[in-house]
Amino acid sequence: MSSTSAAPAAQPVTDGDSVVKVTDLVAGYLPGVNILNGCSIEARKGELIGIIGPNGAGKSTLLKAMFGLVKVHSGTVVVRGQDITGLKANKLVSRGVGFVPQTNNVFATLTIEENLQMGMFQRPKDFAERFDFVAGLFPELGKRRAQRAGSLSGGERQMVAMGRALMMDPAVLLLDEPSAGLSPVKQDETFLRVHEINRAGVSVIMVEQNARRCLQICDRAYVLDQGRDAYTGTGRELMKDPKVIQLYLGTLADTAE
Amino acid sequence: MTITATKDDFTGTATSSANGAWNIGVPEQGTYTVELDESTLPEGIALAEGQENPRDVTFSQTSNLSVIFAFGEGIVVQQQDFGQNLLNRLVAGLSFGLLLALASVGLSLIFGTTGLTNFAHGEMVTLGAVLVFAFNALGLPFWLAILLALLGGGLFGYAQDRGLWRPLRRRGTGLVPMMIVSIGLALAVRYVIQFYFGGATQQLPYAQSPEIQLGPVSISPNNLWSLGISAVVIALIGIVLLKTRLGKATRAVADNPALAAASGIDVDSVIRIVWITGGMLASLGGILWAYYRPGVTFDMGSAILLLIFAGVTLGGLGTVFGALIGSIIVGIFVELTTVFGLAADLKYVGALFIMIVVLLFRPQGILGRRERVG
Repeated sequence: MSSTSAAPAAQPVTDGDSVVKVTDLVAGYLPGVNILNGCSIEARKGELIGIIGPNGAGKSTLLKAMFGLVKVHSGTVVVRGQDITGLKANKLVSRGVGFVPQTNNVFATLTIEENLQMGMFQRPKDFAERFDFVAGLFPELGKRRAQRAGSLSGGERQMVAMGRALMMDPAVLLLDEPSAGLSPVKQDETFLRVHEINRAGVSVIMVEQNARRCLQICDRAYVLDQGRDAYTGTGRELMKDPKVIQLYLGTLADTAE
Repeated sequence: MTITATKDDFTGTATSSANGAWNIGVPEQGTYTVELDESTLPEGIALAEGQENPRDVTFSQTSNLSVIFAFGEGIVVQQQDFGQNLLNRLVAGLSFGLLLALASVGLSLIFGTTGLTNFAHGEMVTLGAVLVFAFNALGLPFWLAILLALLGGGLFGYAQDRGLWRPLRRRGTGLVPMMIVSIGLALAVRYVIQFYFGGATQQLPYAQSPEIQLGPVSISPNNLWSLGISAVVIALIGIVLLKTRLGKATRAVADNPALAAASGIDVDSVIRIVWITGGMLASLGGILWAYYRPGVTFDMGSAILLLIFAGVTLGGLGTVFGALIGSIIVGIFVELTTVFGLAADLKYVGALFIMIVVLLFRPQGILGRRERVG
């Protein structure tokens, strides 16, 4: 929380509970080609937000634009009352944003412990305390701290990646398709972990391909379509929404769960 | 006894040590007349029959060549038996390998963090030696000249990154075009150096260094210094990389720049530090190389560029400790090939050959690691 006072460009946000507020974001990789066409989402304190949508809807681009990895043409991203739009990734970490990319999300040649140390590169003094917190969430990482991350399985790497992003005690954790490329069992495990992280008090914004599982665990979700937020509602509401079912969930069969 | 080497207007004289070994540093490759002053021979010893004196020796590709004057009546008194020779070459090779490693470690760090295959690294090596020569010629004390040359090397690294490589990275220039740019830069810098420095070989102060006997090994004090200095510097680099926050951040950037940025590491500043360090290490390597050959020329760096690449590739591209081990292997191999009868002119070929053989069996290099995918 110490970084709140650091920003000169701080803009007060009316909603005191708001952790992240994205307003009318327009962004794209190439000039003139926008992937996001005015996307607005919000995450309040302690919320687990899911973002689903068809391929090419701009889900990952939204996260990357929020994290300064894609050029933002207009719109704003406000985190804990500070406008962070267009700041570079390494500056965002100290503003309370943690980001876990979909692929290449660990330092393969570094040990688990070094991966976590890199996670709090800007605040090395509190390492022991934060390490205990992360090892509490992922006991496996605490036990194997000297092992090289490159030798881990996909599921284990996902833990290292999330652990690294949690080291700086972020206000919000951005997860880009955490279940991608994992076996069904590992996917379930990952969703469980995300749920645990969220229950430990971290707001989470999660982009997911696996819409059904995502909606099952999230508090609220946004459905993205063609670079805009088309629908929003609680996970349960959206799972029962006929339009969402038809477009993204396929059949009605499993919605009872 | 006294031996004299002459060529055109150059004359070098050396006095042999107690075991009969001698060493003359010459300014450039070519044909020299080597003469043993028979009046300085100890009493009762004469040159063996058929020993030509004076005689002409030619060296073209190599920087050292041995001339043996045999004494007695047709009995060749080998001053060094095979084992002794092997040991001497091993130590010399280690010294050469470690100075190669200074340059390789920088090249490897730059490759690791930016992906750039920098063909201009040889010129960074040359610059170190040329700057020492220049500052010394201006009348500055020797130690100050070395200090300034190291700073100059760091500055050259910084300027390259700031003025060329960082803008190219920002524009998203591909790695192959960047490699071509580095070849162009190498040629440009090499000939700018030639323009101001000239094509001749110059000697740094204290380049003459007769071999001394150290236990079973005979080695020149310069080589001994070189060995010690490079070993200490490389150990320091190793400790920094393994133990310090900055070193770990450097490894993190080399591993995955995007994730390093996402972790809060300022990737640009890490790369800047790597360029400065790489420039200083290359400079130091160049100074030591000028003493090892001995001599300073405008193309001395490009002469060992391929050996530096061989060391880096042999050890595993982008792994700093691989570059260290690879360079030592290359250095030792280069020196040892002469012991096992390969013509001295071909000794660099041996080093490149071993690189090819190792890569055929271990494509990722000695310390390179295969990645587990998923």
